[in-house]
Amino acid sequence: MKFLNSLKNVFKFIFCYTLPLTAIVLAVSLMAAQNARAALGISAQIDRTELEITDNLYLTVTISGDSASVPEPTIPPMSNFNAYSSGRSQSISIMNGRITTSVSFTYILTPRFIGRQKIPAISAFNGREKAITSEIEVTVTKSGAAAGTAQGSPPQHQGAAGRAAAPKAADTLIFLKAETDRRTAYPGQQINLLIRFYTAVPLTSNPQYLPPAYKNLIFEDLPPVRNGEVTIKDIRYSFSEIKTALFGLSPGPASISPASVIAQLQSNEHIDPFDPNFFQKFFSMNGSQGATKELKTENLTLNILPLPDGAPLSFTGAVGNYTIAAELDRNRVKTGEAVNLSVTVSGTGSLTTVTAPKLSELMGFKVFDTMSSLDINKKNDIISGKKVFTTVIVPRSEGPIRIPQIKFAFFDPEVKTYREVETKPLELNVEKGDSDAKNFNFTQPGTQVVSATGSDIRYVSDKAKAPVIIRAAGVLFGMAWWLNLLPVAALLFSLLFSNIQSFRLRNPQIFRFRQAKAAAGKDISRAETELKADRLKEAVSVLYDSFMEYLSDKTGGKISALTTRQARELIKDRFPLMDEYHLEEIKSFWEQLEMFHFSPSSLTAQNAKDLITRYTVLLERLEKEFKKK
Amino acid sequence: MSMLSLKGSGFTVHGSGFKSDFPVSLYPIPYTLILSCLLFLCAFSLPALAYDKNELAELNDMYKNGKYQEALDGYLKMTQSESENPYTFYNAGNAYFRLNRPGFAVLYYAKAFKLLPRDPDMRANLDYALKQTGQALVPDGVPKALHYVYYLLSDLELKALAIIFFWLACFAGALRALAGEKLKEELKTAPYATAAACLFFLLWIGVRDSSPFTNGAVAAAPATLLSGPGEKFKANATLPEARLVKILDEGDEEYYEIGLPGEGIKGWVKKTDLQKI
Repeated sequence: MKFLNSLKNVFKFIFCYTLPLTAIVLAVSLMAAQNARAALGISAQIDRTELEITDNLYLTVTISGDSASVPEPTIPPMSNFNAYSSGRSQSISIMNGRITTSVSFTYILTPRFIGRQKIPAISAFNGREKAITSEIEVTVTKSGAAAGTAQGSPPQHQGAAGRAAAPKAADTLIFLKAETDRRTAYPGQQINLLIRFYTAVPLTSNPQYLPPAYKNLIFEDLPPVRNGEVTIKDIRYSFSEIKTALFGLSPGPASISPASVIAQLQSNEHIDPFDPNFFQKFFSMNGSQGATKELKTENLTLNILPLPDGAPLSFTGAVGNYTIAAELDRNRVKTGEAVNLSVTVSGTGSLTTVTAPKLSELMGFKVFDTMSSLDINKKNDIISGKKVFTTVIVPRSEGPIRIPQIKFAFFDPEVKTYREVETKPLELNVEKGDSDAKNFNFTQPGTQVVSATGSDIRYVSDKAKAPVIIRAAGVLFGMAWWLNLLPVAALLFSLLFSNIQSFRLRNPQIFRFRQAKAAAGKDISRAETELKADRLKEAVSVLYDSFMEYLSDKTGGKISALTTRQARELIKDRFPLMDEYHLEEIKSFWEQLEMFHFSPSSLTAQNAKDLITRYTVLLERLEKEFKKK
Repeated sequence: MSMLSLKGSGFTVHGSGFKSDFPVSLYPIPYTLILSCLLFLCAFSLPALAYDKNELAELNDMYKNGKYQEALDGYLKMTQSESENPYTFYNAGNAYFRLNRPGFAVLYYAKAFKLLPRDPDMRANLDYALKQTGQALVPDGVPKALHYVYYLLSDLELKALAIIFFWLACFAGALRALAGEKLKEELKTAPYATAAACLFFLLWIGVRDSSPFTNGAVAAAPATLLSGPGEKFKANATLPEARLVKILDEGDEEYYEIGLPGEGIKGWVKKTDLQKI
């Protein structure tokens, strides 16, 4: 019965307490997970849903998140479109330490086929969350010009093309060429790579473009693809070209590996390559057969030059042509409240690699993390834009505070010199606040797992002094060795002294016997003092007590309690070798002392003086007698 | 007759001319504190041996900017002026590491480790440098925690602690000898406890004597291990650069007798081929 009750209690505990608690914990965890999941967002928009085959489609992918950096979107392989990156634009807002970031990536899509086409789902993954768009449907129609041409008169250039193309070898009628606008550049200086595909023969399907790989270079696409016609050695070609902006990373050689185009040549000419819409036509073809031809560019090498000496202190590696501006999100604040200091670097150059300008000493501020946002545009095939570095600063003291100029230096490759620009100083009025600065950071604590990608030694130390304990140990160990004998000596002395004391306590008579004369000598001095002060009675009393004490110390008995006869017997008993003369002297002196001590009326100064003299002489004699023991 | 009385905060020994006052409240712990304070005062009263902090910042900037050789020259100069500062050795070790000289990197990390073995950065870099040369700071099979405790204190600190407890044991013994009955009872265990502590640290020093960092050396370059102290003896092995060895005997003018505990080998190596830690 007792066991059943216990079991009942256990179940009651589980159902009434443990399970609800577990449910609450799980619910809270799920809610937290939901909140965390909502941090990353993605959306995709196109500028229109219907376009002609000759047009370009602008696709904007916007990724938002609650951290300083958001991931780039993953554009899946698209067989029905050629996609080129066109730029990016970023905005960041910080409110009470909470960050919201939104980055828009723009792509130019060129359609390959006529009909209803789908842009597949685009995703973004930040290492813990994945966001995904839905598919977008686009209708691609024939261009009006193409339709007219197809339905009306034959192509104007067909005859010319036929005449020119017929006797030539295939290699001269279709080829790929890559060239750069410069072969030497400074790190970060823009180099434009042009890859142009020429053809004077019809193609049966859309050529596949495989971009080159780059070494010691970073790149940015420069869309859109341009088409045109050109005559080379009496042959008229249609060409299609794409540009890419390159930036050297570090001094030394850089290389561009071959780019490739895989094209299908048509055996029967159905399409005139000199048709203005040649590319769109062959892109719109389906199921045509022909010979496959792979075209490659040559390997290109570039020389990245070292930057010249003489860089200003504020130089952090930026190359290009920039301006700088700074602003605060407000100019009146309380101590402990956060202010956003935004430093904007704008201009042309590789903004991706531009790092934050060095902030001068911000006295009176607590400075937190800096984060950056980047806007890039590619107008006229030049990479330009702005990069905004936002730093949260928290004033610690009240009053007007001036934020000094922030300097930013860069190397201008056009004039081959370093230039330095600076912001205007900023003013901030700080009022007294309620609390100290809170901590702000731009990371999401505990949400990302750090995975080691390498290892290295730890950095140098900036500690100038050895720890105190080591210095103290050094001083102690550096002491002269013989100093360590001091505690030993102290110990030995203490032990010796302790033993003496112990012996003294165990044998007090010996010490009394030895020190009796010294004590009596002191008493004589006291008696003389009393005599000089004309206190005769006191002088005799001192002598009497002293004599009794002396005899007691020597004999070990209480002499004052004895009669002279008993005292004599005691002395004789203890010191049998003492002669009778001295025993009589003791008796005589004792009686004389007693007489003056107990009947002081007859005492004169001379008597007292004689007593002192007699006592002194007697002591000397008795000392010798007592040693006869 | 002598007698001892306790009055208030002191005791007095009366009789036969001996009279002395000691505060009864003096226990061994306050003595320890007082002695420690004196030691720290000694440390603080040292002349300003520490080098200029700006100079260190300059050297660290050189290191940061990749001027490792210039930084190293400065760090080495500092090690000469402050032979008890572990951070200078550590920084020099870093510069040697960056200059791809693992032998000297291990040597200087080991010197730093010998002075401050519980510093996590020094442990990490020494371990890293040793692993780069096929060695390890913590031998196989030894628990890390045990190794950490074993090297919690430097040789210098162990010796200083042994000295401190030796002094304390002597003073506690002396005080107990002079004390009265009550104080003597209170101090009953103090001399033995401090003497035991002294012995404990002496024992620790003795055990640590087998450590390669206590009397060890590093091969700054590949060296030949001979079977005797001279060229005419057969070469038994070749020590790779950065190999940590234990010096067994340095009596010979030209050769160290060394041991390689891991391999169970011992032999002689030219003194010029090894750098003492």
